[in-house]
Amino acid sequence: MKAIATTILIVAFVLTPANVALATGDDFNSVVKMIEQFYRVKHEGLPFLAKAGMKVATTAARIKGGDAKRIAEAGSVKLAVFEDQKFDGDVVKFRSSLNEALNVTWMPLIQTVSATDQEQVYIFLKDAGDKFNVLVITIDQRDATVVQVTLSPRNLALLLKDPEGTGKAITQEATINDQE
Amino acid sequence: MKLLSIALLLMLTPVLSAKAQDSRIQMSSLDHLAAKASQTVDVNLDERLMRLAARVFDDKDTDEREVKKLVAGLKGIYVKSFEFDTEGQYTPGDLETIRTQLRGPGWTRLVNVTSKKDGMVEVYLLFNGDAVNGLAVLHTDDKELTVVNIVGPVDLDKLAKLEGQLGVPDLGIEPQKKTKNDDEK
Repeated sequence: MKAIATTILIVAFVLTPANVALATGDDFNSVVKMIEQFYRVKHEGLPFLAKAGMKVATTAARIKGGDAKRIAEAGSVKLAVFEDQKFDGDVVKFRSSLNEALNVTWMPLIQTVSATDQEQVYIFLKDAGDKFNVLVITIDQRDATVVQVTLSPRNLALLLKDPEGTGKAITQEATINDQE
Repeated sequence: MKLLSIALLLMLTPVLSAKAQDSRIQMSSLDHLAAKASQTVDVNLDERLMRLAARVFDDKDTDEREVKKLVAGLKGIYVKSFEFDTEGQYTPGDLETIRTQLRGPGWTRLVNVTSKKDGMVEVYLLFNGDAVNGLAVLHTDDKELTVVNIVGPVDLDKLAKLEGQLGVPDLGIEPQKKTKNDDEK
């Protein structure tokens, strides 16, 4: 009887969502690779990404002076930019693949897909202790950006209040920061 | 024996949680429309995210204080919206998958609800006794289909305050007179 109970306990514990969530790796890189493979926008290894028109950078977020406010936590920004490449593919199929890949650990907050304009915006959330990881993926006909940042609960609330607006702000902030 | 009880409790936890989410309607049957849509929007805000969202509203502002109070009691906001370039891209069968759920126990369709938007708006409330435990809005137009599902205590008067925030689209709903539909269960 004890053996059966122990087995049930182990199975129940293993099936608990929190434990399933631990079984994943670096989703940021996985998403970048997925975009590369799906849209065939990269044919080189990571060291040569710059030649292919893609930059990968982990930027240290710097607090600007004046009225500028940072959304992302300092040092938390991961950024991948695809510039001037052809993103020609089935957006519905891509969306489905992306959700399938991320649905174990990430929570989809808002997803906007325009099949006719080939524009896609995806915002995913993940618990990171007392803070939250946010993954913002934007793809249009010629460019794409993948940004992962850590947000404080306060800034997460801003994202929740206005998901589209704050998602764009996160991408802009990361991109501008990368150019500094 | 104690170990067995703990194991069973662990296994039953998801079932009990699902029971508490009864006012959440399933919209995945509409996912196939994304392939035909010119624009698709999906919003998912669960209970935990709702609690966090409540923090951002300012207590000092009268309007925001009301929204904060409203949001604090909610367990989720879910939106699925499709816009099409041409008419006839969704079928009555697609709508039926949503309406079937809204004919379930507790759901009541509100009449005398109008919208500034073109097309038809159907508003449903989930009652538990006199308390409202959920709301669903089905907006249909020739080239548009939107489903909004708010889980938790919400009334139509307060819905307007959420429009344009937290991913809730601007539905232009104007409550006139709240009446329970006679033919409802």
